[in-house]
Amino acid sequence: MAALATALVAKSAAKTGAPSTALPDWSGQWENVGATPDATGGFNQTLEQVLKQMEWSPPLNAATKAKVDAMQARERKRLEAVARGEDPGGAFTACTFGYPGLMLDTPLMFEVLITPKETALIFSSREIRHIYTDGRPHTRKEDLWATPWGDSIGHWEGQTLVMDTIAVKDPYGPEDSGSDVSAFGDVEGFLTIGILTQQAHFIERMRMIDPGHLEDQMTIIDPANLTAPWHMRRTYERVAHIHRMVYEDCDGEDRNPVVNGKFTLTPPPPDTPPTASAPAPKSAQPAPPK
Amino acid sequence: MNWLRNYAFIAIAAIIATMVAAGPALAHHSFAMFDQSKKVTVQGTVKDFRWSNPHVFIQLLVKNDAGIEEEWSIEMTSPEHLARVGWRPGTLKAGDKITLVLHPLRDGTIKGGQYLSGIGPDGQPLLGSPASPGEGK
Repeated sequence: MAALATALVAKSAAKTGAPSTALPDWSGQWENVGATPDATGGFNQTLEQVLKQMEWSPPLNAATKAKVDAMQARERKRLEAVARGEDPGGAFTACTFGYPGLMLDTPLMFEVLITPKETALIFSSREIRHIYTDGRPHTRKEDLWATPWGDSIGHWEGQTLVMDTIAVKDPYGPEDSGSDVSAFGDVEGFLTIGILTQQAHFIERMRMIDPGHLEDQMTIIDPANLTAPWHMRRTYERVAHIHRMVYEDCDGEDRNPVVNGKFTLTPPPPDTPPTASAPAPKSAQPAPPK
Repeated sequence: MNWLRNYAFIAIAAIIATMVAAGPALAHHSFAMFDQSKKVTVQGTVKDFRWSNPHVFIQLLVKNDAGIEEEWSIEMTSPEHLARVGWRPGTLKAGDKITLVLHPLRDGTIKGGQYLSGIGPDGQPLLGSPASPGEGK
């Protein structure tokens, strides 16, 4: 496995630090193909379409499959509670999705900021993946701890960004948890989960396949949970209707408190003026460009 | 494990039978308070279009059967998602006459629902809506 990782990742250290003029332009906003939202909060592809596109086939070993089955059974009960309007507990209040979900199964948009020494993937959840391409190795073991985004280095092979990520943990799991991968999180999606350890090694090859699409070929190496390297393919398309980053805010004006174990909806705050009917005060108007 | 974050959209998924992606903050983002088995159509006048996080709301004044005006709170998705469909803070304005299809609240203590589709003041489907009300997913 280690040899495979080495072959996939570090074909040549000399390929790092390519002249900036040779780096591709991936500017703009991108979203997972299939995750273009509609006004209802739904999306534009079925789970089956997404699975096909991802070439979804997690090579879970028997022990991991048993864990997945048990978790799915628990989750289905929780989902049944949600369907009844009940709060099953376990709510999260942070806009943290974490890797590898950021690349695979989120409804977010992102930008790719490419510089010679680092590429940053900036997501609308305000999460950022830092991919260091200055030739450095991974953070040394003594200084490394698992995080929801992992420790990433990379290099360029022509117009393809090769990313290598380790030390990933679930944003909401205990400190010793690994991460998981799901195609998408609907009811059916709970059948499509891969559970990984913190020793999982992620290798991605990202490139532009046409002016409107990026592609990420991801290989996950995790011998403790997988019988073989797990390969997936994800594509991203340009966001159609907005051309700047807009962030999610998971707090904001929360009008959905849980009361007596049930989700509720509250009236708008009484002391705030209508937002769409009143013009902004002059002092709030942006200054004209000089 | 991080699929727990996905509750945000699960209630929708059960109904629209389409792909639903991840979202954190179960308590903040759940649509479980809406009865996904029912659809109602309401006509009214926009009192306020609240371009707010984590979710956008349409405050709609609707006359009930007795002719008395009631305020409905119609919950949509996030500003970021709506912006990607083409919505903007000024898409609806106070005074606009619109028709909406929605999943109503299970608890009728206040009037409200989850936005599914709509017809705008110009008689055209609102952005991201099916071709006509009633064809909501």
